[in-house]
Amino acid sequence: MPDVNVIIDGKSVAVPPGTNIVDAARHADVAIPVFCYHPKMKPVGMCRMCLVEVWTPRIDPATRQVVMGPDGLPQMALMMNKLQAACVTPVSDGMVIKTTTEKVKFAQRGVLEFLLTSHPLDCPVCDKGGECPLQNLTMQWGPEVSRFDYADKVHFEKPVKLSDVIYLDRERCILCSRCVRFQDDIAGDSVLGFDNRGRSWEIISKSEPGFDSKFSGNTTDICPVGALTNADFRFRARVWEVRSTPSVCTHCSVGCNLTIDARQNKLMRIMPRENDTVNEIWLCDKGRMGQRFFESVTRITTPMVRHNGKLVESTWEDALNRIASNMANIVERSGNNAVAGLISDNLPNEDLYAFRKLISDVYGSASLDHRLGLLTDVSIDDAPLQVGVGRDTNLMTIGKGTSVLVIAADPEEEAPVYLLRLRGIQSRGGAVHVVNSFATKLGKTASSDTRIAQGGESAFALAFLKQVVDAQAATGFERRLRGLDEVRQQLAKHSLESLLATAGISADQLKKVVDAYMTASNSIIMYGRTALQIGAAVTQNLASAAMITGKCGKANNGLIALTNGANTIGATALGIRPAKGGANANEMWSQAEQGQLRGLFIVGIDPAGKSERVAQALEAVAKHGFVAVQSMFMSETAKRADVVLPLMATAERDGTITNAERRVQRFRTATAAPAAMMPTWQVCATVAEYATASVSNGRTAVASGWNYAVTSDVTDEIASAQARFAGVTYTSLDLSINSWGRQTNELFYYDGTSYSNSEGLGVQLASIADDSNAPLHTAAVAPVVYEPKGEFTMLMQMPVRAYDGGEWSTDSKLASRQVTAHVVLSVADASRWGIAIGDLVALSSPVGSALVRAQIDAGLAEGQVLLPDVAGAPTNLALGAYTRVSVRRAE
Amino acid sequence: MLGALIKGLSTTFKYLFKKPVTVEYPEVKRPVRERFRGRHELKRFENGMERCIGCALCAAACPSDAILVIPAENNPAAPNSPGERYAARYEINMLRCIFCGYCEDACPTNAIVLEHQYELSFYDRKSSIYDKSMLLVAVDKGHGEIPPVLQQLNRRPSPPAQIDL
Repeated sequence: MPDVNVIIDGKSVAVPPGTNIVDAARHADVAIPVFCYHPKMKPVGMCRMCLVEVWTPRIDPATRQVVMGPDGLPQMALMMNKLQAACVTPVSDGMVIKTTTEKVKFAQRGVLEFLLTSHPLDCPVCDKGGECPLQNLTMQWGPEVSRFDYADKVHFEKPVKLSDVIYLDRERCILCSRCVRFQDDIAGDSVLGFDNRGRSWEIISKSEPGFDSKFSGNTTDICPVGALTNADFRFRARVWEVRSTPSVCTHCSVGCNLTIDARQNKLMRIMPRENDTVNEIWLCDKGRMGQRFFESVTRITTPMVRHNGKLVESTWEDALNRIASNMANIVERSGNNAVAGLISDNLPNEDLYAFRKLISDVYGSASLDHRLGLLTDVSIDDAPLQVGVGRDTNLMTIGKGTSVLVIAADPEEEAPVYLLRLRGIQSRGGAVHVVNSFATKLGKTASSDTRIAQGGESAFALAFLKQVVDAQAATGFERRLRGLDEVRQQLAKHSLESLLATAGISADQLKKVVDAYMTASNSIIMYGRTALQIGAAVTQNLASAAMITGKCGKANNGLIALTNGANTIGATALGIRPAKGGANANEMWSQAEQGQLRGLFIVGIDPAGKSERVAQALEAVAKHGFVAVQSMFMSETAKRADVVLPLMATAERDGTITNAERRVQRFRTATAAPAAMMPTWQVCATVAEYATASVSNGRTAVASGWNYAVTSDVTDEIASAQARFAGVTYTSLDLSINSWGRQTNELFYYDGTSYSNSEGLGVQLASIADDSNAPLHTAAVAPVVYEPKGEFTMLMQMPVRAYDGGEWSTDSKLASRQVTAHVVLSVADASRWGIAIGDLVALSSPVGSALVRAQIDAGLAEGQVLLPDVAGAPTNLALGAYTRVSVRRAE
Repeated sequence: MLGALIKGLSTTFKYLFKKPVTVEYPEVKRPVRERFRGRHELKRFENGMERCIGCALCAAACPSDAILVIPAENNPAAPNSPGERYAARYEINMLRCIFCGYCEDACPTNAIVLEHQYELSFYDRKSSIYDKSMLLVAVDKGHGEIPPVLQQLNRRPSPPAQIDL
């Protein structure tokens, strides 16, 4: 449809049909004040602040023709003969809008005077003061004085705690319903509502516990007054006193852009920073209120070395020298692979790169990993690097004609902001098809929610591939495909019926999902932890389906893996994985038990805290060899180390990080570390330098090329050494473009909502599929089957919980929301074993047993057991993604 | 020449029998004007509560960045000030202060007042920072009165400050 031409305050502007007047005015650089309207939500016209004069060409009722005036121009008529709310009035051709007439000004003054009748005017103590749309709009459009008596204001008790983190001040509320609509439409947690009427009209929380949503913090941003405030920032500082530093969240694989607001070197608050391709303007509560851990007093601030069996404080020089000489000695005596490295995949690219360089180039070891070495570890997944969503993918722009298949994932728990993004795709007309073995929040409102049998993910993936291969017409992609014949042979071995039986779904259910995937113009497959734990049987089959259908290598098509770490994609790409002949994390612990592993460098992870077996293996290494640990807290792993180095927090340093969509983003130093500290890349560089000094034979390579002065030196080296990262430098990462709707008068729309992104949108790495000549290797992998063994008849999995009580929750206001260890059983199983909610349950698997409190979920199938992976949950049971267990009531 | 000498001495003798304009400071101190801007005081309400609500508008108004306010939430059972918020830390660096009185103007509760004390000297820079315990008046002092400036203009303080005025 052609654009509609309208004239706003004398400025002519062409906008798409259906645009409302507020948005159209923004294109003409005209500010229409609003309270209830928010560009991310549907207009409701509640606050009446946007009243404007709307003139339309007069239509003759008899002829339905435009009436022409004597001057040859159409005669204009005031719409409805009164002022119109601009947010709910769509533009039409020839419309003339006047926003500055006396009539409009009178209405605006009136609306503000009414809104302020009950406002307590406590701006000096209000956390919104300084970035408050009500303040700003009153200053620009409001009356100078009120005719209402100050003493006549209605007062309420303040504040009302909607939850532990969100406080409501009813006096300040102007009842615009932005928060209610955000929760209903965007977050999908309908936990807020209106209560009473008239002057007692108020916002209430309808959930137990109060305001039970993972996105509650966003309502404080979009609140146009100080009615909803964040307990995390309550009275910490005034907003103009804080210094904002652009950063990136490292709590999950989304990589949300955020701003660290600090004052006097202390974190005051976290605010979202707008990035359409990552988090739009939203942030989950974990990212917003779970960032105080690095200011905890329990943090390690000085290096420690073991002296007479005890860890004592030391200097950086001494500690690093010990690491260098001990590791070099081990390499000399026991060979290169006697040394191994484990590093967290939450750390920035620079650290990962330098760590790999230290372990594999200097020490020559092939044993390197970013996982913990537990039986439940995820597999190393190359699919996102091969056929991950194509370059220039922007989930915010796609809607109609999009199909997203979410399989074996729970986005709300694994990567919360993806829930908002997927719901956004759906609200714009796209389809989201959820396939999971248990109910997820996304599934409740998705286009379809297919419940597959537990452990049926790999059978589903193969059935999906089989259907795709059978139905696929020529795409022109065939010339790039390799191994298609093997795929066909492999698929012929499995009948669709048996696969469907294992997956526990009907042929129709599968067909629906496959059809949606094949017919959509943009198709994305998203999978999560369970899929990654099962490994290639799910991920490779899905990747092959994306290759064969050609749904990869172009924007908005491909795979998204919700990885464990914030930088797992970076770790995989930068070689934090066992090389040929090297041991993976699991094998490292076996080698440790056998005494083959002598030197271990662990950065940023706590495997010993997760597993008793690993703790013992680690002690064995420490006893016969040498263990260095860089850690933020005195973890179980750090306690067993010979040298402990403090780890720097993201907020205290700069670097780059790669998110689930392969977008590399830069974060900057926001606060100073509590003591002199080194980031990991610098630790690696210094150890390499000392190692060179202490080297005595040819086994330890002489360090060269370690001349890094600042972090960006490492970034530049990655860009030149790693083809995939070519061009990813601080300069390119800092580029940003004007985002949606940011216009000259943004102040009046987004105040306090989020900060516009002038600090860089990041750079998306190319996938292999993005290169139009690169071959794509397809394969079909046989499904994994979990046979019952003797008494172990129930199938247990360990789903992710966002509020898992990990290190990040230290000092967080979300403490009360942390999930405690529990096991979820089906109603049938619970009644069979006589288990009630809260009962102690004895869980046994072939490798261990534990006692856990029970929860019962009517949505689970018989034989299904969920043991959420949270702090305190038993880790000695699971053998992988799924484990056969037995359950009985503990006496 | 003699004439000039007599002229000069006559001035001397004239002043010899006049009351001197100087005073023997510091034994004798001259009263300052009503609107003199000296050392700050943090006032209280009649009920003994602190007027300061920790809004930090004084710090925002201060042209020399001399004021530091760290707010905190009042304990509802034993509040320091009316409302939800109070100043947990309140410091003025008297070396930085230029005694312009903008803080007084900015204060919504008339908590900070530049009083008449002008003898401010320090042996070291650290001691030039006056903290809340030094600035806050005693519980039974400094409440209730409309500030002299407003009295002269026949105006009442802004509404939030009217709490017990």
